Amino acid sequence: MPQTIYVSPRSRGLFDSPPAAVVTRDVARLFGETPALAGVSFGMDAGRVVGLLGPNGAGKTTLLRILATAIRPSWGSVRIDGLDPAVNPIEVRERVAYLSHATALYGDLTARENLVFSATLLGLGGVESRERVAAALAAVDLEGVADRRVRGYSAGMRRRLGLARLLLGSPSLVLLDEPYAALDADAMGFVDRLLVAWRDAGVAVIVASHAADRIAAQADGTLRLEGGVAVEARGGAVRLLDGAPAARPADQPHAVGDGVLTAGASR
Amino acid sequence: MRRELGVALAVARKDALAELRGRHAAVSTVFFAALVLLLFGFALGPDARRLAEAAPGLLWLALVFAGLLAVARLHELEAEDGSLEQLALYPVSRRALYAGKALAAAAAMLLLGALLTVAVAVLYGLDPAAGWLPLAVTVVLGAVGFGAAGTFYAGLTVRMRAREVLLPLLLLPVTAPLLLAAVKATAAALTGDPFGELVAWLQLLAAFDVVMLVAGAAAYGFVLED
Repeated sequence: MPQTIYVSPRSRGLFDSPPAAVVTRDVARLFGETPALAGVSFGMDAGRVVGLLGPNGAGKTTLLRILATAIRPSWGSVRIDGLDPAVNPIEVRERVAYLSHATALYGDLTARENLVFSATLLGLGGVESRERVAAALAAVDLEGVADRRVRGYSAGMRRRLGLARLLLGSPSLVLLDEPYAALDADAMGFVDRLLVAWRDAGVAVIVASHAADRIAAQADGTLRLEGGVAVEARGGAVRLLDGAPAARPADQPHAVGDGVLTAGASR
Repeated sequence: MRRELGVALAVARKDALAELRGRHAAVSTVFFAALVLLLFGFALGPDARRLAEAAPGLLWLALVFAGLLAVARLHELEAEDGSLEQLALYPVSRRALYAGKALAAAAAMLLLGALLTVAVAVLYGLDPAAGWLPLAVTVVLGAVGFGAAGTFYAGLTVRMRAREVLLPLLLLPVTAPLLLAAVKATAAALTGDPFGELVAWLQLLAAFDVVMLVAGAAAYGFVLED
C-alpha cells in the first residue's frame, strides 16, 4: 500500500464563520415500533476525526445512515456544513462520502468500471475522471487487478475498492462504517493514513468501529452510543449538545475540562 | 439537463453491461419467453388460422411475462450488496436515476420484442415484413411503456420479502391499457387495418408512455427512500 495519499482538499473560505461540520439535535429513528436511535444530539467540527463507539445494536450504523441521507430520521434535525438534508439533499450528498457495511459494488463490472460509474455520478468526466480513478486504484493497491470483475475479489479487496470510491470526490464529511473489517494489517495501516490525510485536508470524519483501541489512537475524539442514546463524548473534537437525553451510566466521568464531556454536562 | 442525461446514460450503460455479462439471466429470460409462446401454441392446437389470429395477443403476453423477469432482474442487480442504497446517495436527481433504469428496461424489452416477433412469425406463420413499420413503432412504444412502469414497480418491491409475488400483482393491472393497445396495434399492423384504428391505438400507447414516464420520474424518489 502506498505511504502517501492524495485527498482532494475542501474549498476553504466559503463562509466567514464556517458552521460545524455536523450538528444533530434529538435525532431518533424507529424501525416499525423499535427505536434504533432514541434522540442523539452532538456536534463536531471540520478537520477532525471522531470515533463512533458502542456495542452491537447501539445505533451506530443507523446514525451514519441518517448522516449519509440514506434514511430520514423519524424526528430530530441534522445539519451538515449548515445544510439541512431534508431541504438540500443534493447539496448535502455532494459533501458526504459514505462507506457502508455492504461494499455496494457491482460484481459483474470490473473495479475500474465500478469507479468510472461512481465518478460519472459524482459529476466527473473525461480526463479528470480517468485520472482520479487511476489515482484511487493506485492508492488502494488494486491497479494490477483493476480490469478484473469484482465478483472474483476477496472481502478485503472489495473493502479496499469501497475505500477507493471515497477518494474520487471532494467530500467535507466522510462516514466510515467498520472500515477495518476484512482488512489485513497493511491495509489497516492504509486506513489510518487515510484518516490523517482527510484530517489534514480539512475533512470531518466519523468512524464507527469495534476496534476501540485503534480508533482511540487515530481519532481526535469519540462519541459513545448505547441503546440508541449518546452517553459520552470524549476529546475536544465532538460535543454533546442540548437535546441530548440525560441517560448516563453511573461510571462515566462527570467533569468537564479534562477533555471529557458527559451527557448533559454541556447544558 | 445535460448532467442528468449523462447520469441516465451511465446508469443504463452500467445495467446493460452487468446484464450482458451475467448472461445466464438474459438467456433464461429469452428462453422463458420462447417457452411461453410454444406452450400457447400447444394450448391453441394446430389450426394455423386460429394461431395467426391469436398471434398478436400471444406475442404481447409472452413479452409481458418475460418483461416481468427482466425488470425485476435489473433492480435485483441494485439490491445485491447494498448498491441501491449507494445509488441513492450520489448527488444526482432521482429522475435521472429513474430515466437510466427505465432506459435499460426499455432496451431489454425492445430486444425481447424483436426476438419474440421473429419467433411469432416462425411459430404462427405470420409475415411481419408486411407491416414492419407500424409493428416496429408498436414494439418501441410498448417497450418504453412497460420499461417505464416496470422500473417504478420493480424499485418499489425490490426490498420487500414477497417481491416475486408483489411485482406482477402491482404491475400487471397497471399495464392493462398498454397490453390492450399494443395487441390491437400489432393486429392492425400484421393483418391490415380496415377501420383505420391503428393510429388511435398508437396514440393510446404513446399517452401511456408519457403518463408512466412522468409519474415514474416524479415518484421514484419515494422508492429509493428507506
